[in-house]
Order: sequence, then C-alpha cells, then structure tokens
Amino acid sequence: MRKETREYNFDWMLWNSFTAAAQLKKGTEKEYRSMLKYIPYFRGVVESILDAGEPGQKFLDICSKYMENVITAKEKGKKTAITTFCFSPAIFYAMDIIPVCLEVISVMMTFTYKRGTAEFLDYCNEVGYTETSCSSQRGTIGAYLAGIGADIDMIVTDTPGVCDTNANAFAFASAYLDKPFFQLDMPPDLTGERSNEYHREDYRALIKFLEEQTGKKLDPEKLRANLRELAKQDEIIAELEDLARMVPNPLPVSYNLMVYASRFLFAGMPECTGVLESMLEVARENAAKNISGLSGGVEKLRAFFCYIDHYAQNLQLWKMLDINGICYQGNILSRSWAHNAPHVTEYNKEEVAYTIDTTDIDSLIDSLAMINSRMPMIKSIRGPYDAPNMWLEDTLGLAKLYNADLIVYNGTPGCRNTWGMVKLFARDTEKAGFPTYIMYADAFDARVQSWEATEERFMEFLKVRRLV
Amino acid sequence: MIKELLDASTVLNNKHVIQWKKNGKKVVGYTCSYVPDEVFHAAGILPFRIRGFGAADTTIGDTYFGPFVCSLPKCMLQLAGEGKFNFLDGVIITPGCDSMRRLDECWRKAGSDVDGVIPSFFFHYGVPHKYSDYTIKWLTEETHRLIAAVEEHFKVKITDENLHRSIKLYNQSRMLLDRFEAMRTLDAPPFNGEDALAVILAGTTMPREEYNSLLEKFLSEAENSPVIKNRVRLMLVGSANDDAGLVRVMEGEKAVVVADNLCFGSRFYTDQVEESGDPVSALSKRYLGHNDCPRMYGDYKRRLDILVQKVEKAKIDGVILQNIRFCDLHGSENGLFERDLEAMGIPCMRLEREYGPLVETGRMKMRVDAFIERIHQKKAIA
Repeated sequence: MRKETREYNFDWMLWNSFTAAAQLKKGTEKEYRSMLKYIPYFRGVVESILDAGEPGQKFLDICSKYMENVITAKEKGKKTAITTFCFSPAIFYAMDIIPVCLEVISVMMTFTYKRGTAEFLDYCNEVGYTETSCSSQRGTIGAYLAGIGADIDMIVTDTPGVCDTNANAFAFASAYLDKPFFQLDMPPDLTGERSNEYHREDYRALIKFLEEQTGKKLDPEKLRANLRELAKQDEIIAELEDLARMVPNPLPVSYNLMVYASRFLFAGMPECTGVLESMLEVARENAAKNISGLSGGVEKLRAFFCYIDHYAQNLQLWKMLDINGICYQGNILSRSWAHNAPHVTEYNKEEVAYTIDTTDIDSLIDSLAMINSRMPMIKSIRGPYDAPNMWLEDTLGLAKLYNADLIVYNGTPGCRNTWGMVKLFARDTEKAGFPTYIMYADAFDARVQSWEATEERFMEFLKVRRLV
Repeated sequence: MIKELLDASTVLNNKHVIQWKKNGKKVVGYTCSYVPDEVFHAAGILPFRIRGFGAADTTIGDTYFGPFVCSLPKCMLQLAGEGKFNFLDGVIITPGCDSMRRLDECWRKAGSDVDGVIPSFFFHYGVPHKYSDYTIKWLTEETHRLIAAVEEHFKVKITDENLHRSIKLYNQSRMLLDRFEAMRTLDAPPFNGEDALAVILAGTTMPREEYNSLLEKFLSEAENSPVIKNRVRLMLVGSANDDAGLVRVMEGEKAVVVADNLCFGSRFYTDQVEESGDPVSALSKRYLGHNDCPRMYGDYKRRLDILVQKVEKAKIDGVILQNIRFCDLHGSENGLFERDLEAMGIPCMRLEREYGPLVETGRMKMRVDAFIERIHQKKAIA
C-alpha cells in the first residue's frame, strides 16, 4: 500500500468526497459546472446522480450521512459493526449500533476513485486472504485491516450457507482484528417449519450477541418504530416495482441502484424513506405522462440482471444502458420479498414472502428473522439453484414479469456460489426463451477486465444475438 | 500389509468394493467428512468417500462448472461422467463449501444429459456452519431425514440397536487410528507420511470390519518395522488431499510428514461418538462438533490451538499450509495460521496448487526443498 494512502483514514476521505459532492448543486449552476473539472474521476458519478434531480440529491446526502455516522460513532458513544449488504441493518439501528457495510462502501470507492479499491484489495492478499477471495469485501476490509478506518467493535454476517467467500471474509477479519464475530447461518431450504424455526432461533442468538456487545437490552419501541418505517419503505418499493412493469418503464436507469443502496444503508430509517419517496414522485409523474425513464426517451430493450451490477468507475454500466436505450429491469439486489411486492402477489408466493408484525417483541423479532432470511442472495442462492423458490424460479418469474428481452449475469470471480452452476442456469434461462449473457468481469475490480472490454463484449453479445 | 491398504487407497473400485457388490450389497458415496458413515453401516450399506483421484483432465467437469471453481469437484464430476463411479448406488452431497455444494446441480444436470451418470439415490444433506443447541437439533433432524430416505429407497431398516453397534465399531476404528497417530508422531516413526495417508484413505473405501482388521495388522507390523530418522518433520495442513503421491513429492528424501490436519487425514477420525443415549443425536454432536474445517466460521482460535498442540506433540519442524486454487476457506485461513505460527517461531510455507494429476511436481518440490533448507538453517542457528 502506498504511503500516502495511509496518511488519512479512508472512511474519513470518503465522507469528505461524498459530503462535498452533496453540496455541489446547492450553489449556482455555473458554480456547479466549474467545480466538475476539479473532480475528473468522480464527476461521472456526481453528474449521473445529481442529474436525477431531487432523488439524486437526497441519495448523495444519505451516502454522506452514512459515512459521517461511521467516522463519528465513537465520539457519539456508539458501537460499530462490520456487516454485509444482504444483512438488514434495521436491527443495528434499533440497537444503536452503527453498521459498516463493506460491499456498499466498496461500491462507493469503486465509483469514486481512479484506482478504485485496488490498494485495499491487494493489502488483503498481503495479510493472508487468497487472491480469489471476493473483491466486494476485500475492497473495504483491507483498509480496516491496515488500521486506516474507524474503530470496529464487532463483525456480523449472515452468508454461511449462501456465499462462502463472503462469510470467510468476515471470519478472517474477525480473527485478524481479534473482534467478536457472529454469523447467522442459512439452512438450504427457505420455507417449511424447520427452516423457519432455525431462522428464528438463530436471530434470537444474534440479538443476545448484540446485547452482550453493547451492554444494552433491545428496546422494543425503537425496533417497532424501525419496522414500521421498513413497512412504509416496502410499500414504496412495491409501487416502484409495479411502475417498472409499464411500457415504457418510467424509472430512470439509476433508480434501481438507488433503491437497493438506500435500503442497504438505511433500511428502517427515515433517510431511506426520503430517497424512496422522492423517486416515487418522479416515477409517478413520468408514468402519468407515459414518459420513459431513459434519457433518450426511447426504450429499445429491457435487460434483467439476475445477480449484481458492474460498479466500474463513474456508473459506466448505467451510462451504457441509458445511451443504448436499454431499460434496466432490476437485479437480485433490488427485489423486495415483502408480502406486497408485485412478484409475490403475481405468482402467489405469499409463503415465501415476509410480513411485518409489530404486535409484541416476539412478533417483532420473528419479523426481522424473516426479513433477513429473505434479503438479496440470502433468499435465493442458498439451496440448489433449480429448487422451488430459488434462483432459477425467481429469475424466470421476474424476467417475465418485467418483460425482459435478455438476462445478464455479472458477479466477481469470488462468487463460487453462482459460478458453480451459472452455466446450467444459463442453459435453463436460454431454454425458457431468454438470451442470457454471462459477463466474465469483476464487478469491483476493473483490473480483472477493463470496463472498455466488458462493454465491448456486452455489446457484441447484443449484436450476435440480434438484440440490437 | 501396506500394499493392500495402498491398493485400496489408490483404486476407486477396489477389490473390497468389487467383492461387496458381488455379494449383492449396496454402496453409497459421499463427498464430505461431515456425513456419518455409521448410518450406512447400520443399514448394511458400504459408505464410500467420493474422491477425484485419478481424473486425467476436467473436460466434463468444465462443461458444467464455471471457471472460477475448485478442481476437486470438477475431478469428481469428471470421474462420474466417465462412468468410474458406476458402482455407486447412491450419492450424498453436503454443503461442505460452495464448490462442493454445486456438485449437486452439476451432477444432476450431467445425469439428465447422459444416462447412467447419476445413481438413483441422490441426497442433499444440509450441514450447519456452527455448533450450538439449535444447529445440533437441525442436524439431528437432517440425519433422521437421511435415515428415512435411505430406508425408503434401499428397503432397509436402520434401528437404534444397529446404529449403536455401528457407532461402537467406528469408535474402535478411531481408537486404532489414535494408536496409529501416536506411532506416526514418534521421534522415529515406523512409516512415512505417504503410507500414513494411504492407511487413512483406505478406511474410506472398504468395509469397516475389514479395515479394522487390516489396521490392527498394520499396527502390529509397524511396531517391528525399521524406523525413519534424521528427517525434517513436517505437518501438512489445508485443503482436501486424497493423493498419497502428493505427500511423497513433499517428503522426498529429506522430510517426513508426521502429522496432518486434513479432512482426508486425521480430521476424519479424531474424537469418539457417544455410545450411550440417542444414537442419531450422538452422531450429530460428534460430526458437527469435532470436524475442524474452516467452513465452521468464527472458530479459528480453536483450530489454531489444535495445530499448536499437534506441532508440540509431533515435534514439528515446519508446517506446509496448502490449498487448492479457489479454496478461499483453507487458503485464507492458511494466511492466519502462517501469521500466528510464525510468530510462535514455527516455520510455515503456504502453497497453492491444483487438485488432480501431479503436473506441477517440479515447482512444488523446489519450494518444499527451499522450505526444508530454511528449516535446516534455523536449526543450525539455534
């Protein structure tokens, strides 16, 4: 790692970057335009997000707030927990713990910095991680292992049974940093009494762990308020998802990213609700006018991303889609499995969905256990991909519901949970009539395959399959 | 004696399996050391640990698996595709790791593409990733589910009485292997690491009664065998290794592997199953609680303690921490072991390799030789 990288805490730097970005549009347009030339590597992100209007502004504000929470946790007397994107942060907020979500912070850095997270990725390898470990965690954890981040009190994950390389990254960090560790383990089946009971028991053990770490009992009123806020967010997301079914889709391409990122950052908190409400307002207006969310206004294709996105610097994936008139119909990260989600009601999947019951402490905890067990990836990448309610069924259902013309897989080379069977999966989706493109890039590390090469191959696929 | 055990460890469809099948009995394969052999033994079925040993390439494996996946399950699928596992009447897949759990889908898909590749009994055995009262409860129920499926498919009855008998037999085996372990770690052991691995592997491929008998004979003979002296004492740790040839390459003429912590090695047989009480619950406790694989997240310190104890007991000069490429679990934990063991003054060497034919013996030999040289230098300075 370069000496200068160690000069400042990385999370403090990131907070500064996002806080400054969030201020840019608060002056005049001329001031804004003249500032952009000073942030050549970050301007693409800033422009893409701020050009989305009020939702973009609010989104940048919450990114800044999230990082501020991380770096000021100690002075505010709060505990910090390193956690993962597929772990609902609602429980942390309810227990006054500041979540530090590795993957979301990796995305923020990958978008923002010229070198992305390369130095932290490599630092992880220097201290022991295999180079084949997932880049989404390594990108941020490397900084904490190097001691250039906020103090961390505990490490919590929920990916055992779902993604080894993710779970392993957290377990490694716990051993390396000598911090308390807790894992929520996922059985291979999502539904059924055995799995439900397992989820519930495991979640209660988590709460016990968090209570031990914080020295505080879980406050049911605080949790109730968070879950009510979460229910409100689910309502909004359900409407946004419903609107995305329209032709043309009134949602701008970046909305999907903002939906899932907001949830990963502030699920159950008003910050997330604010971004979602703002997006819903714009989407409703566009829908009323029958306007496409694409900047060109013409929808040529609809792509469903069955896994994650590609986080190349400056949101280049979203730009590529927008420029080419490709409507982004969501991915595994953005789908909610709330009882009112469109795909739940459309396919009568109530037994798979979660409901939020705020009656008493038991129902609150059970609701959280169900929510967590239905988080992205946790829900559908646990058992065999072709089992009921798992990845294939979900993908085909969603691709049909959102009228996708093609399905795209992208992950990282660390995703052994999906690389282990993605060829079979693609055979099945192709058989079902969806041209399926497997991207061989790394969503978080452009050194594996440059964005330019990734884009060229993607476009080549569209041409070869006569989709454009 | 060692030849018979070596043959059993290097030939998949060995003479014991052939004889077993000739007698009209069934064989069920499994991919991971978390599956309780006793269940199958109690059903009169031969439990057989599936390996990828002998695969010359991975063309079939690569057809189904993606590129960034460990070569062990690819080799297993390769052998299945080539018909080398046609003697199996059933297969149990566990989520040992992501690569191994995806063998489930890949094997099934291969089975739907080509007739005869997949046996009629194919079972996914869900093993939790941590040890607690509710995870033991889960595994106990899962084992009952397995028992019910085996009973239904093979038209057998697995009684508690039979399970108790099987547990006793396997515990006897574990006691013999404890004696074997004690002999292996002597200052001047009577056999090398290559033979030791062959002896352990043989137990996964033949009826337990025969194995116990052969093992007893082996131990008696070993007591009077010439001993190995003046070699660097190594311990082999990390990813699955079912190839005694790999140990031979590492040992050469200068070293002897006197201890291991491999799932095909000593991890497979340490610790007894409780012989009283509910047998299924006892099996679940032993198999979930006493397997020291990094898939059991958050338990690093316990595993480090195990290694340190072994290093002391076996007077280890150096530890080889190896992993198969894409095995992040062992590979990364090896990084932690290296840090902590080196801090205690125990020389370590990390080695990443491919599973399968020993195509990179030159590279491996050179690195191990350099490691041995380092150990000699350390001793000379001391």
